[in-house]
Amino acid sequence: MRVLLHLIYRGSLIGLLTVSALVSQSSAGLLPKRSWEIGLFQPFRYGFSDKINYSTHPILFFVMPNLSIKVLHRKGKLFSSSTRYSVYYPTKLLKMLQTGIEVGDETASLIAPNFKIPHMVGFSSDYIITKPYGFGIISIYGGVNVGVVFGDLDDRTSIDLPLVYHRFGIFYNRYGIDMGIDFSKQITDAISCDVDFDLKILPNFSGSYSFEHKILLSWKKSERVSFSTGYKYVYGEFPYGKKGRLLPYLPLIESWVPIFDIQWVGLRKNRKIK
Amino acid sequence: MLFRIFIGSFYLFFWSCEPFVSDFEQARMVAEVYESTHKTYTEPTSRPKAVTWNIRFGSKRFPFFGDSCGDDVIMQKKDVESNLLEIASAVNEIDPDIVFLQEVDIYSKRSGYVNEIQYLLDNTDMNYGCYASVWKADFVPTNGFGKINMGNAILSKYSLEDAERIGLSLRTDQSNLVQYFYLRRNILKVKIPDLDLYAINIHATAFATDSTKQKHINKYLEVLSEVSDGGYIFVAGGDLNSLPPGASEYDFCDFDECDSENFHTLDEAGELLHKEASYFDNFTGEKEILEPLYQRYSPAVEVNIMNNSDHFTHAPSTSEERWGIKYDRKLDYLFTNAPNGWSVDSVKTHQELWRLSDHMPVSGILNLSGD
Repeated sequence: MRVLLHLIYRGSLIGLLTVSALVSQSSAGLLPKRSWEIGLFQPFRYGFSDKINYSTHPILFFVMPNLSIKVLHRKGKLFSSSTRYSVYYPTKLLKMLQTGIEVGDETASLIAPNFKIPHMVGFSSDYIITKPYGFGIISIYGGVNVGVVFGDLDDRTSIDLPLVYHRFGIFYNRYGIDMGIDFSKQITDAISCDVDFDLKILPNFSGSYSFEHKILLSWKKSERVSFSTGYKYVYGEFPYGKKGRLLPYLPLIESWVPIFDIQWVGLRKNRKIK
Repeated sequence: MLFRIFIGSFYLFFWSCEPFVSDFEQARMVAEVYESTHKTYTEPTSRPKAVTWNIRFGSKRFPFFGDSCGDDVIMQKKDVESNLLEIASAVNEIDPDIVFLQEVDIYSKRSGYVNEIQYLLDNTDMNYGCYASVWKADFVPTNGFGKINMGNAILSKYSLEDAERIGLSLRTDQSNLVQYFYLRRNILKVKIPDLDLYAINIHATAFATDSTKQKHINKYLEVLSEVSDGGYIFVAGGDLNSLPPGASEYDFCDFDECDSENFHTLDEAGELLHKEASYFDNFTGEKEILEPLYQRYSPAVEVNIMNNSDHFTHAPSTSEERWGIKYDRKLDYLFTNAPNGWSVDSVKTHQELWRLSDHMPVSGILNLSGD
């Protein structure tokens, strides 16, 4: 019963945590032109050209319109670099979480009902450098996040949970800085490992930083399907003090629901012109 | 290899399932202790003053969705601090040696994440405190309630020893899901060596419609007997959420119901519907539930005046603006087993403080001397 309750509750956070999917870091590398990949819950990524990739979360698009563009600047044996730009509109999703659902006589909702959620748009921009070494591939990134709010956003509407609080914090603080380092290692032909350390800073905010660490193991079952699992550790400052939590890693949305992700990849074929 | 990885992941999931709600499964636990940041020495006295007060998490008469006809959930931090300052000022004016508090919040979202016990220690003449959580959850997913830690506290001018949280029975009239996120009420017991007595605080159930309240009072009697039978003096205070025996009114549904509510109609089972916490005859014996306390121990507000309106301690927070009623029932009590009981004419129900909570404090001076 208790585990079930955890799952019900934790599952309710899935929508929220997709923000992390939109801004999740990876290498500076791009998908080849016209190739695509999508996970059960991961964003749809598409190689528009050898220098530009688009990505969006198709399911979440209806509650939180979102789009990311990654632009390659340099691709070389020594290192590669790219910039990722993201934009998303979380207002509708937050309003849904405020309305919640009726459970008996209670309303299960994550935001108090008597506050107005204004229109908001989040922008993020990250510069990524990837360098291959003999022992693996290392990527470092750094960037700025900006939250544009059209109206008054009461700070009591914040959702004070690990992973969520600091991501939506940019709308209360208006801006934030993020940086991190990723390490990727191909262990065998089928198994790879990813380790990362991320830092999110919201200067002068009540709860001004969040440190995240993740280990992810992936098993490539075939050319088109792979599974992955791992954990994520979060430690951060909140309005009530400092708090750490270890979470099984759901690769799609950095939640703590124990699901293995399945990923498909493909290549869009050129239509023959008669 | 892969099998091991997946089994490892499975264990990792369960290991990391740190509960979001503290269920306090142990019947007896060590309670949290606190100290003022600026302690002042007070000479032990044989006539210590005690006060009990449900401070409603420093919200004064805030129209909170949970216990009044309001729809507000979360207060501004500055408002909470301003309210607590008024409560601290009132405590200093009463000048007690021991304070029993109920509904004290620590780092809760609804009360601006203020550590209320520390705030009161730092802004009153009290030096030491202990705390037992009644409701502790990282996140309550109801109406955006968020993080909560509410509980009972005892403050004292004198140092405290052996602070203990004694768990009370859970309600049985709730679904498992609601109960999981619900309150775990308790009795807070602590020794005050300088006064050679125990202080015992309780906040009994308000909303249960089953016999949970009877279990809470029975446990309270059991704890008081333990102390008494051990040869110790106690002073006990709390919000018993029960009326004194012989109260003239047991049904407050008409006064307490909100605009959208309708009570005293028949439910599906053909039973008369009453508002939770507003009706005090839910089970056989509820009207007389406090009789054993009055029979065994000395009440601060004596039997002959306990039902007088000038000793009423509670009315719902919105009742004044709705009905012009500031207090209409007595729910808060002080008892002792000290042989000489309470000093004559020392007992007061501070109804003038009605604006600071939906409960009013009751104070009295113990007579621990042989006089």
